Amino acid sequence: MGKVNISFTINGSSHQIDVEPQWTLLEMVREQLHLTGTKEGCGTGDCGACSMIVDGRLITSCCMLAPQADGSDVTTVEGLLANGDLHPVQQAFIETGGVQCGFCTPGMIMATKALLDRTPKPTLDDIREGLAGNLCRCTGYTKIYEAVMTASGQEI
Amino acid sequence: MAQETKTRDKAGDSEYTAVGKPTIRIEGVGKVTGQTKFADDLTFPHMLHAKVLGSPHAHARVKSVDTADARQHPGVEAVIAAADLPAYKMNPSNRRGVIFAVDEVLFQGQPIAAVLASDPHVAEEALALIKVEYEPLTAVTDPISAMEDGSPLVRSAISDVDRSEEKGHVTIDVEQEEAEGAPSNIASKINFSRGDVEAGFAEADCVVEQTWRSAMVHQSYIEPHATIADFDNSGELSVWTSTQAPFYVRDELCQTLGIHESKIRVTATEVGGGFGGKIFLTELITAALAIVVKRPVKYIMSRKEDMLAATPAPFAQVELKTGMKADGTLVALKARLIYDSGAFPGAPVMPGCLFVGGYYKCPNLHIEGFEVLTNKVSVGALRAPGAHNATHAIESHMDIMARELGLDPLEARMKNAVEEGDPLPSGQPYPRIGLKDCLRAISESDVWKRRREVEGQANRGVGVAIGGWIGGLQPASAIVGLNGDGTIDVTVGSADISGTNTSFQQIAAEVLNVPLSSVNVTTGDTKTAPYAGMSAGSKTTYTVGKAVKLAAEDAKRQMLDIAAQRFEASPDELSVADGKVHLDGDDDKVLTFARLGKMTTNFGARFAPVVGRGTMSTRKSAPGFSAQAAEVEIDPDTGAITVLGYAIVQDAGFAINPLSVEGQMQGGASQGLGIALSEEMKFDEEGRLLNANLLDYRLPTTRDLPPIETIIVEVPSEEGPYGARIIGEPSIVPGGATIANAVADAIGVRVTDIPITPERVLRALGKL
Amino acid sequence: MRTFNFYAPTALDEALELLRKTDGGRPIAGGTDLVVQMKEAATKFPHPSSIISLLLIPELNGIEFDESTGLRIGATSTMSDIADSADIREHYPSIAEGAGIVGSIQTMNMATVGGNLCNGAPSADTAPPFLVHDAEFVITGPNGRRSLPADEFFVGPGETALAPNELLVEVRVPAPADRSGSAYVRHTPRKQMDIAVVGVAAAVTLTNDDRIENIRIALGAVAPTPVRATKTETFLSGQPASDESFAEAAETAAAECNPISDVRGSAEFRRHLVGTLTKRMLERAANRARGG
Ligand SMILES: Cc1cc2nc3c(=O)[nH]c(=O)nc-3n(C[C@H](O)[C@H](O)[C@H](O)COP(=O)(O)OP(=O)(O)OC[C@H]3O[C@@H](n4cnc5c(N)ncnc54)[C@H](O)[C@@H]3O)c2cc1C
Ligand code: FES
Ligand code: FES
Repeated sequence: MGKVNISFTINGSSHQIDVEPQWTLLEMVREQLHLTGTKEGCGTGDCGACSMIVDGRLITSCCMLAPQADGSDVTTVEGLLANGDLHPVQQAFIETGGVQCGFCTPGMIMATKALLDRTPKPTLDDIREGLAGNLCRCTGYTKIYEAVMTASGQEI
Repeated sequence: MAQETKTRDKAGDSEYTAVGKPTIRIEGVGKVTGQTKFADDLTFPHMLHAKVLGSPHAHARVKSVDTADARQHPGVEAVIAAADLPAYKMNPSNRRGVIFAVDEVLFQGQPIAAVLASDPHVAEEALALIKVEYEPLTAVTDPISAMEDGSPLVRSAISDVDRSEEKGHVTIDVEQEEAEGAPSNIASKINFSRGDVEAGFAEADCVVEQTWRSAMVHQSYIEPHATIADFDNSGELSVWTSTQAPFYVRDELCQTLGIHESKIRVTATEVGGGFGGKIFLTELITAALAIVVKRPVKYIMSRKEDMLAATPAPFAQVELKTGMKADGTLVALKARLIYDSGAFPGAPVMPGCLFVGGYYKCPNLHIEGFEVLTNKVSVGALRAPGAHNATHAIESHMDIMARELGLDPLEARMKNAVEEGDPLPSGQPYPRIGLKDCLRAISESDVWKRRREVEGQANRGVGVAIGGWIGGLQPASAIVGLNGDGTIDVTVGSADISGTNTSFQQIAAEVLNVPLSSVNVTTGDTKTAPYAGMSAGSKTTYTVGKAVKLAAEDAKRQMLDIAAQRFEASPDELSVADGKVHLDGDDDKVLTFARLGKMTTNFGARFAPVVGRGTMSTRKSAPGFSAQAAEVEIDPDTGAITVLGYAIVQDAGFAINPLSVEGQMQGGASQGLGIALSEEMKFDEEGRLLNANLLDYRLPTTRDLPPIETIIVEVPSEEGPYGARIIGEPSIVPGGATIANAVADAIGVRVTDIPITPERVLRALGKL
Repeated sequence: MRTFNFYAPTALDEALELLRKTDGGRPIAGGTDLVVQMKEAATKFPHPSSIISLLLIPELNGIEFDESTGLRIGATSTMSDIADSADIREHYPSIAEGAGIVGSIQTMNMATVGGNLCNGAPSADTAPPFLVHDAEFVITGPNGRRSLPADEFFVGPGETALAPNELLVEVRVPAPADRSGSAYVRHTPRKQMDIAVVGVAAAVTLTNDDRIENIRIALGAVAPTPVRATKTETFLSGQPASDESFAEAAETAAAECNPISDVRGSAEFRRHLVGTLTKRMLERAANRARGG
């Protein structure tokens, strides 16, 4: 079965590559582009660990076929650093203790970025709605709520 | 040390400069940028991916395994079934001693064979080509009927049960009777007695008798099990694995594969959540495959495999009868606990028996525990293994009795709560503990204080419960070295699953009086790191932290010795501050750590390198207690439960890093809430798991969990570094009972099974 | 997941041609059902030899509303597109409620309405709302275009009235009458990220004296397909829109449905929920009809 030739940008750099049609976007990014920051927790859309932003929308990359990313603009956690500086969301997660084992963290940070892009000053309810697709087993979410508040410049 | 208790404020005021302060994670930047490497992020040249075929049946005879077609599949490098494995010491009585099922499969998902290929998709495709002929046998799924004489047997008789892994989680001198005599599904029994229970019940003004059930639940770390192994021609085995227990993995591999410990290198990669479930599972199979093909082999469990064939926590039934006098004194307790062990022994019924009668002084008790085999995946540890099941029962009883006698539920608990010197059901006395301090602190929480307001409001309720854990004990060691540039390296052998390396950084910085930024901490592999026990049983800070403190003190002593020679002074006249050794009273006599570094590492240096060594072993545990309170609202027509508020108090002894301690408390509480509200592995009558994914196995989401109010109390332990005690586990224990009590407060009736699902609420209300 | 050929046609005809040519080809939209099913080898059909992406076909996209002709939702519109559409929120609130509860933000950004309907799950959250709004499903295939009323589209669990190689093009929904309102809710153990144990949609049109002129009730996850509660509808027609009639309607709905027990809930529990949720949706829809 034929590989598919696709073009896309990821974290600002353009690529044109051949992909196996049955590979997911997650597999392509991790295995072919060696960007291993994005994690696979379930492979079936249920945990959010694989979250990326594709054409401005937050998606779970484990259930998107790689060829369907043809022509898209993809952002992964690796794309958040600006000149080596941490993104405010990343900084806030460290400072508040919103990171424990770190396995949900890349997805959680992408979901937070997508939330703040839509709603720059979210309420607690907005946060609890916006992150519902991202499971974290370590934190109980309390410090993640604090991280999002901090990242959006609000009092905890 | 005099006993002092305090409730800590957020800023973490203390007399120390580094310990006791909220400190951000040493590995935080790597994790938020995605640069931290987890096992699945590593690749090696010529690496093969393994996919494992699991049994579709819960109980069957394996008549034949035909791998011919799979071997022919283009791209497949090897297909390995039981017959193709290297020689190993198989122990059918142990989950850890069986790589592939040979004659009989005992649970759905039990590995049968594996396919290796460079492309994981190819390996997976070939799995479908392996032909296995099964003869299905009766699956025994209900542990209660499995106990009866004449029940079909789960498996052929077994011997030599190895309980070494359990001991890592809870270390206490209790003998478990392995079942003997006629073959039965009862794997072991345990018994504790004190006083005369019947006389106790005769004295009681209120007697409550009830049966409580708690579901089989899964640790559900977000990173599934992940291991890479490589075996070279010199006979050296290297394993990179997501484990809490690198040295335990090494020891097990040594014993099973017959390779010397000195020839095994286990590297604990960053663990993406373990909670007791990542001790030893995928390492043996991956190592065996690597030995066959002599190439690196990576085995990542899919979520489905992990749900089917890892080591979840048991279903338990607790039959409890308790008696209380009108003044609130607990006078009798009788309990029968049945834990479903799954297909191999190893259920934590012993801690269940200890805690069902271990929170309160009770002169008369009789406790019996049974560990029963079924054709389900065999269980392992989940944070305070076995404790939540028993706590759900006893803490529900405390509420029911208090209510019946018109007592305040907190006062009833306070009246009976154990203190230093009180015996556990096994007879061992408690060391210094902070249970009463936790009870006092929870009464001050915002959630508990809302009780007055909520009282009388329909379908709203507030509940409270406590829980505790003794913790494990294992020897530990650490090394603290001074580098040439004056920075400090701490090397330990414990996997960092809860921020322990950050606490070690603080401890070394405190002892050496340097800024945190001068100290780095590394978890070495089993060949380079000093020995440490498994990061389980909440003991890592308590034991390894102590070793780090000793090692840092040793390093400091060595530095002072060198400086003393240099200044021709006595070490007593010297002190360290700001990365320098000072001669007291003489501002000119200073030696920076950088200078000391050079003096001990340069060509022709006069002094030997500074290498501090800390080793420790203790038999004294430092139990931790937690008290929790919940406010809930029930929709009486759908049964839906909303958690409006939740508070946790825990005795941390001394919170070396309050940020991590709070994180452990909140994380454990959230897992307790999952157990209370939504988590349940459901099996059909043939023993097949019906919800092997994270959509139908329901971990709490952000929508389900409010922010958790978090209160640390500190009753110093006797031996822990700076008074620290076990932290990680107590927080999961009270959740089931806390929610059960809040729900009962809201609707006036009891739901006896956890999770308390909407359907169970409606049944309790008589609406179904 | 096993391999396949992948195509991403940019015109509907091209897609139909590909489906015809590739024996055993399968359309894909958001992939949130299909990719998961292929990974778990749990498709209702043999593993597809080819996958034909529909996302680049302009005719399948877009949401348009017109006061007189009603609503058109292209098959590849995502749940987010629908839940965020001001027109749909205003005129067809139950459709926005159904789409707005599918999985997570991530799921809603990928999942399409065509995929939700064509996957044929009895629990599909957009199905009951379309049933109560008398939607028409526009289908195209080797034998040309046809249009089916929503209640003829669902055939069994995972089965629809689509013939082999047919595609759902769009959903058309008539403009709602004056004094009408609709609502959808489902019960799930978790507040979000869950599959309906029961879903109930209701749409009502009220007379000026607050009687029920027109009524539709549809139930999800209580039968092999999403279904209308026709007995309850008949009972309610012409009744006053009162607490009493809604309470009685709830009992009728609970009695007429025929759920099964499974891992998500027992038949008894589902039946009880049908009653409770039917009453609530009738109240909410009636309130909306009154302009509330
Ligand atoms: C985490 C998660 C949560 C979910 N939660 C919910 C939920 O709450 N409620 C709910 O209802 N569903 C839920 N789903 C299921 C799924 O997301 C929806 O059914 C979704 O709408 C499917 O759309 P899709 O575009 O992803 O479909 P796809 O997976 O692309 O396709 C689904 C099926 O429809 C066929 N198909 C797609 N488009 C067409 C077309 N135009 N013509 C003909 N056939 C077509 C495909 O061949 C395939 O068989 C969930 C899924 C996940 C992974
Ligand atoms: S890995 Fe994609 S959602 Fe879990
Ligand atoms: S930090 Fe471990 S899962 Fe979120």
